[in-house]
Amino acid sequence: MKGEAMISIKNARLGYKKSGAEISVLKNIGLDFYAGDVIGIVGLNGVGKSTLLKTLCGLLPPLDGEVRIEGELMTQIALSELAKKVAIVLTEKIGGFNLTTFDVVAAGQMPYTNSFNRLEKKHKEIIKAAIEVCGLKEHQFKLINELSDGLFQKTIIAKALAQQTPILLLDEPSAFLDYASKHDLFLLLKKLAIKENKCVLVSSHDLDLLLKYCSKLLVIEEKLAHLISVDEAKTDAAFLRIGGGFI
Amino acid sequence: MNSKTAIKFSVLLLLFVLSCALSLLFGGSETMHLSDITSQDFIFWQIRFPKTITAIIAGSALAAAGLILQIIFRNPLAGPYVLGISSGASLMVALSILAGNSFHVFSDFFIGKSFIVVSAISGSFLVTLLILLISKKVNSNVILLLIGLMFSQICGAIQTALEYFSDPNSLKSFVIWGMGSLANTTNKDLLLFVPLAVLCLASLLFFIKPINALLLGQNYAQNIGINFKQSRFYLILISSVLTGLTTAFCGPIAFVGIAVPILSRMIFKTSKQQIHLLSTVLLGSTILLFADALCNSLLLQVSLPINMITTFIGAPLVIYLMFKNKHW
Repeated sequence: MKGEAMISIKNARLGYKKSGAEISVLKNIGLDFYAGDVIGIVGLNGVGKSTLLKTLCGLLPPLDGEVRIEGELMTQIALSELAKKVAIVLTEKIGGFNLTTFDVVAAGQMPYTNSFNRLEKKHKEIIKAAIEVCGLKEHQFKLINELSDGLFQKTIIAKALAQQTPILLLDEPSAFLDYASKHDLFLLLKKLAIKENKCVLVSSHDLDLLLKYCSKLLVIEEKLAHLISVDEAKTDAAFLRIGGGFI
Repeated sequence: MNSKTAIKFSVLLLLFVLSCALSLLFGGSETMHLSDITSQDFIFWQIRFPKTITAIIAGSALAAAGLILQIIFRNPLAGPYVLGISSGASLMVALSILAGNSFHVFSDFFIGKSFIVVSAISGSFLVTLLILLISKKVNSNVILLLIGLMFSQICGAIQTALEYFSDPNSLKSFVIWGMGSLANTTNKDLLLFVPLAVLCLASLLFFIKPINALLLGQNYAQNIGINFKQSRFYLILISSVLTGLTTAFCGPIAFVGIAVPILSRMIFKTSKQQIHLLSTVLLGSTILLFADALCNSLLLQVSLPINMITTFIGAPLVIYLMFKNKHW
């Protein structure tokens, strides 16, 4: 009914390796994500939200099973091509080396520049647009380690937008944002999904926002994940447990 | 490149030419005159000229290696000397001179030199890999530097032991070599030194994209399409060859590798690493040329070890920068 899944995970066990030993965080994962959806990932701290997102952009290989992006096995996609398909916003801090907001956002266009990383007019326009959409215009020439946490967060989101990928993965992007910016961000994500037909996966602890703006919710509990619609959330036991009785 | 950057580069270029002239004319026990150069003057062509070229190549190589290391470790205080990489190269050279003397590899000039060069490069490569392995376990920039310091202490201790058991002639050459000198390179040495160093520096041009992406760290670099592990391997290899090569010919030279990239970031307030590559090469050679002219002209009769000057310039600069600028 919806055509081919943007992301498809089959029989996967996800996790990471620590000094040789496999640590599995999620198991029996079989999920399909489609274009036009904003999927909110919910789960308690340390449940594997980041592991899932890092797997979906190729930073962590699945321990078992397979991940396909637009029908193609992730392991068969060249890194330079994958960079044009999946962009990620992580929680880690970067900075130093004179990096400005503009520089970080410009890095999002790196998959499209020549081998000397020369920014041409078309690249600059995309970077400019990403900066404006995230409300960073007056901050674009500031050093990023002089930015507030919220502005830094917006910078990384702008970088992901500048990457112009059909798939956007965001790991707790709303953590440091002020109330209005949180709503702005989710509105933007919803607009990108509907107007530009992107597939957006966003993890967050702002459950009320997820309920308000997402089209689906991925609930993660005890190494298992299941996809529900927003309407089902009110009756989903796992979701209610994550809400801690406050939802 | 905007006009401001162009002006800064012009000034650097001017300083570079000036320092070349200083090193050629004043970099020895007597002052040369321009008229000496045109004739087939022995001192100029056999002593000054190779020394000046050595200063240019060694300065460029160390500064570029420092820049690469700072990016790989995402640590603005990294450098070949402070991380113990130069010491690893020194130790391997000391070992190879001892071993080489007993196997008579030095009877042939190029085999002998290549032997030392390969040992130095493998020494610096091994230490870099070790440091890299350790850097994954520690998060703190400062602890990494302390570990590098310990590495150079260990290498130094082993070297002292080797020196203790060596004959007086080898001992003297070890000790003098360990002070660092630009004057031991002959025109024949340059045939090996210059092409290899230039090749390494030129190969960095193929890594402009990875170098810029590495600033964002492993995860983001990979997400924007850079093969992180592969790029890092080649960059470590290149910086090890640059450090090892320089150490083989000039001994361990202090502080150029760490101070020049920091200085470059202060002058060019940009994160574009292609600019820093060019400017570290210019700045590195300029500083070493000035240092050479300085250590020869402070006391006219004897020439001071180059490390004394670079340390006097570099160490206070690093301390000053640490206080002045928290972001580099």
